[in-house]
Amino acid sequence: MLHVGLAHFLAVGALLFALGAYCVTTRKNAVGILMGVELILNAANVNFVAFGHYSWGGIHGQVFALFVIVLAAAEAAVGLAIVLTLYRHYKTIDVTRAERLEG
Amino acid sequence: MTEAVLFWLFAVVAVAGGLGVVLARDPLHGALSLLAAFFALAGLFLLLAAQLLAVLQVLVYAGAILVLFLLVILLLDLGPARAAASPPGVVKLAGALGALGLAGLLCTLFLSASFPPAVPPSDFGAVAAVGRVLFIDYTLPFEAISLLLLAAILGAVVVAKGKV
Amino acid sequence: MPVSLADILALLPEILLSLGALLLMMTEVFLAGARRGYQALLAALFTAAAFAAFLAQRGGGPRVLFGGFAVSDGFALFAGATICAGLLVTVVLGAGFLAPRSAERGEFYALALLAAAGMCLLVRAEDLLFVFIALELMSVPTYALVAYLRTGDRPSEAAFKYFLLGAFSSALFLYGAALVFGATGRTSLSGIAAAGGGKLLLAGLALVIAGLSFKIAAVPFHMWAPDVYEGASTPVTAFMAVGVKAASFAVLTRILVTAFGAPALAAVWQPLVVALALLTMVFGNLLALTQRNVKRMLAYSSVAHAGYLLVAVAAASRGFSGPSARGEAVSSLLFYLAAYTLTTAGAFGALAALERMGPDPQPWDLDRFAGLAKRRPWAAAATAMLMLSLAGIPPTVGFIGKLLVFKAAVDAGLVPLAIAGVLASVVGLYYYLRVVVVMYMQPAPLGSVPTPASWPLDLVLVATATLVLLFGLAPAGLANAALSSTGLLGG
Repeated sequence: MLHVGLAHFLAVGALLFALGAYCVTTRKNAVGILMGVELILNAANVNFVAFGHYSWGGIHGQVFALFVIVLAAAEAAVGLAIVLTLYRHYKTIDVTRAERLEG
Repeated sequence: MTEAVLFWLFAVVAVAGGLGVVLARDPLHGALSLLAAFFALAGLFLLLAAQLLAVLQVLVYAGAILVLFLLVILLLDLGPARAAASPPGVVKLAGALGALGLAGLLCTLFLSASFPPAVPPSDFGAVAAVGRVLFIDYTLPFEAISLLLLAAILGAVVVAKGKV
Repeated sequence: MPVSLADILALLPEILLSLGALLLMMTEVFLAGARRGYQALLAALFTAAAFAAFLAQRGGGPRVLFGGFAVSDGFALFAGATICAGLLVTVVLGAGFLAPRSAERGEFYALALLAAAGMCLLVRAEDLLFVFIALELMSVPTYALVAYLRTGDRPSEAAFKYFLLGAFSSALFLYGAALVFGATGRTSLSGIAAAGGGKLLLAGLALVIAGLSFKIAAVPFHMWAPDVYEGASTPVTAFMAVGVKAASFAVLTRILVTAFGAPALAAVWQPLVVALALLTMVFGNLLALTQRNVKRMLAYSSVAHAGYLLVAVAAASRGFSGPSARGEAVSSLLFYLAAYTLTTAGAFGALAALERMGPDPQPWDLDRFAGLAKRRPWAAAATAMLMLSLAGIPPTVGFIGKLLVFKAAVDAGLVPLAIAGVLASVVGLYYYLRVVVVMYMQPAPLGSVPTPASWPLDLVLVATATLVLLFGLAPAGLANAALSSTGLLGG
């Protein structure tokens, strides 16, 4: 309990990943799904930094996480713009109700 | 000792924030839980000697990305009433079991694997160390990501424009 | 790490594409009042230059660029040239499709060029970090392109679906990359291959494959494809079906063969890829059978083609076949990618040529093809040629592609998979030939207004159909080029 090691950080990452995956697969709200994706990205970042710190040395993991933050920002900007146009057309961001394409 | 206390504090807040994102009916509450999780993760990064990353986590994730989320939520006025209906119980249960299974699987995987221990150098994670690596060794990814940011700006403008 | 001029020169195609995008954005600001026809020409010029740059670099041995993030090898050059060819068709299609709808803007071409730059970087990425960045550089502009034309609700819904699944798949890929990093301490593909690892590496591998399977639309990760392909405007659909798929296949192959090429690991992923290939071929073809909507039919057809391409990927596994068989499999993959690019881009061109302006509840119904042979014999002949190539009937390039892929599978010991592939293509005959039958045997419905011809679209149709026939009759040149392009670094 008192000694904190690599496994502890990885467990936090795994929990966040599972929560994010749950969010993406069951949420119907577009913004909610996007937040789930952000959780997964953060889970990956915790893993990168923890692995880099505890087991592989090197700064590679941190730099990877740094790039991921930038990518997340780019993705969020475009994604939320798309959510806005969707709302303009359908007046809802419920994934299951914005459905005019067959199938 | 202090480290352990801090770790448990941040870890519990991070996971609770994640749970909040999943459980909140009101998107606004979800976004605020996410904010808490981001701050807690920044704390975890500090414990891992990733100072620059911790600062950027707060600045970019909490400061920029989350504000964007909040902006959209408020702009569209997505209160609990306007938010999407919650999925049926069966889906929720299956999803929850799946998520629990996934987390358990990953944890057993991590526990079963063995990792070589390493002692990080003293300047590990400092701005100077990361910056040097970023601009000398990572030239190509750095240039590519600037292109990506350009594409994202252009894409967001094109998409958000009222009509073509 | 010193950056040499040679490294920068090796990235000339990507630099040209990015420069083209920047120039188009500038002209959009400063020449906004002028007529916009020149923009397509500008985009086409830069694309052709990038294509030429890829061809000019052929022949040199594999080289590591920028300290190991990217490589320049035959595989990357061939795939990059294929992507540029697909982009060129997309640009011409865009010119013919957008101008009459008065929706021609520099941004459209700039986004397409940026996405193509991402694809070209993706096929030469040699590090999981760089793969991820290039993947996003390809995807983010594509999300925006899907939402570009906003006639009705379809594009915004398609963009939304594409974005959500794309973001999710990128996140899965990233978490997989984190696990791989944890297991090996490396992110470079050759480093991962050298390090090896246990169960954690396998979990990472599974997530990486799942993430990329979304991009190539392999069953069961294909659910988004029909809706997104239908909802996007037709030139964008062609770009997604051709460019995104080619780049994703190239990077999937590179990751599997170089990073996870060790026999013990190949023994794990080969059955996975075989299962994916089987599911994708069977369900892609069966689902396409029921479609009267030709655009959806082509979407499912592109899913089915992903299945044939996966057969080639499975055959490239080193664990079960010698180096020569692996070279054969990789070259068949490259050849099939080139053939698929030409044919599919042309087929979507045929669709764009028939699409009417203004509101239309059933714009892509099979009936639109009725009587085409009478009204526009050349367009009908070209469309028929493209459909034959998609179905894999001689003397088209599609037939040669299938032949090479299935032969590679047999040589790699995957005989049952090859047989399943042949059977699946037989099912495919029905829905491709149905289009030809409708064009030639059915009269145009009474009172139907023919769509006015547009020369860029006709150019695409005739050019792709001619090339499809040409490469089908004399495939040696292209096949030899593919065969000499199988040099994967460290593979």
